[in-house]
Amino acid sequence: MTDYIARHALDGNLFIPKMFQGFPEIKEALISNRVQAGFLVAPMAIALRSQGVPIKVVYLGHRYGSAVVVQKDGPVHSVADLRGRTIAIPSRFSDERLIMLRALEKNGIAPSEVKMVEMSPADVAGALAAKAIDAFSMGEPFPSQAEMSGFGRVLFQAREYWPDYMSCVLVVRQDVIDGRPEAVQTLVDGIARSGLWLEKGKPYREYAAEFVGRYYFNQPPALLKWALTRPLDRVMYAPLSPRKRDFDLVRDLMIESGLLDKKLAFEDYVDVRFAEHSQIKTAWKFEPGTE
Amino acid sequence: MKRISFWLLLWTAAISGLHAWLNVSWAEVLNDRLPTERRKLNVAYIPVT
Repeated sequence: MTDYIARHALDGNLFIPKMFQGFPEIKEALISNRVQAGFLVAPMAIALRSQGVPIKVVYLGHRYGSAVVVQKDGPVHSVADLRGRTIAIPSRFSDERLIMLRALEKNGIAPSEVKMVEMSPADVAGALAAKAIDAFSMGEPFPSQAEMSGFGRVLFQAREYWPDYMSCVLVVRQDVIDGRPEAVQTLVDGIARSGLWLEKGKPYREYAAEFVGRYYFNQPPALLKWALTRPLDRVMYAPLSPRKRDFDLVRDLMIESGLLDKKLAFEDYVDVRFAEHSQIKTAWKFEPGTE
Repeated sequence: MKRISFWLLLWTAAISGLHAWLNVSWAEVLNDRLPTERRKLNVAYIPVT
C-alpha cells in the first residue's frame, strides 16, 4: 500500500506517504489538515466523524492481522487467566480494545477486572519482554515480533472472537472527497490492486516484506515475512470494500463500551462510491524479483 | 574576538545547513505552498500491516 502511494508520489505527483508512530498523532494531523488522508483504526474514524470532524472512511487497509499476545513462559494460558492482568492496547478508540472486551465478555470477565493501558504500537513488544505488561492486543507485525523474538505467545487471533474482523481503514478529508474525487479514486484503486497482488501467494508477500521493511517501515524484512506468511491468512488484503454490517458491529460495540453516545448512520461516516468503482480492478501486473 | 565570532558564525551556519538538509522535508514544504488543486495529498500511515 505504502509503496503504491510512494510510486505515485514520484511518478504522478499525487501522494506523499507520511509515517507516524501512533494513531492519535494521525488523528491530530487529519484534524489540522497536515495530512489529507490516512489509515486509522475504525472506531477512531467513527468517533471523529461523530464529533464533527470532516472525514469519511472510503476503504479498508486490511482485514484480520490483530492478536492478543502474552508472555511465552508466563502464567496466562487462557482468556480467563487475564483476570487482574495489565493489557496494552493502541488506543481507547481501537478495534484491538473492542476485541479484548469481546473476548473478556465471552469468558465471563468484567472489563473492570483487567487493567488496559494505552501504548504506542512500537513499544508493546519491548514492554512485554520487560514484563511491564502481561499482554497486549495489537496489529501485526508486533505480535509476530514478540513470537519471533521468543518472549511472546499468541493467546488468540482476533478472528477467533470476531470472524469478519477489520482494523485499519482509509479515511479522507471531506474537502478532498468533494474537490478532488479523481485523486481519491486513484488512491483507492491502487490499494485495491495492491491488495489483490498480495493475495496472489507467498512469493508476492515475501517480496513485499523485503521492500516495505527496508524502505518504508524501517523494520527487518524477516519480521514482516513472518507476519505476512505464518500463515498466509494471518493478514488479508481482500475484500477491502467497507461493508455496512462490519461497521454497524463496530459502532454498536462502541456504544456498548461507552465510546459513542449515539447511533451514527453508516452513510454519515462511510463513502462507498470509491470502493464500488474499484470493484473491477485487477492485481498489478508485476512479478516478484523482476524489478 | 573577531576570530572567535567568525568561527562561531561558521559553526552555526554549518549546523543550520546540515539540519535543513537532513531533517527538513523540502518536498513537503514546497508542496504546502502550492495551490490546493495542485498539491500532493499527504497520506498518513503507521508501520503496521
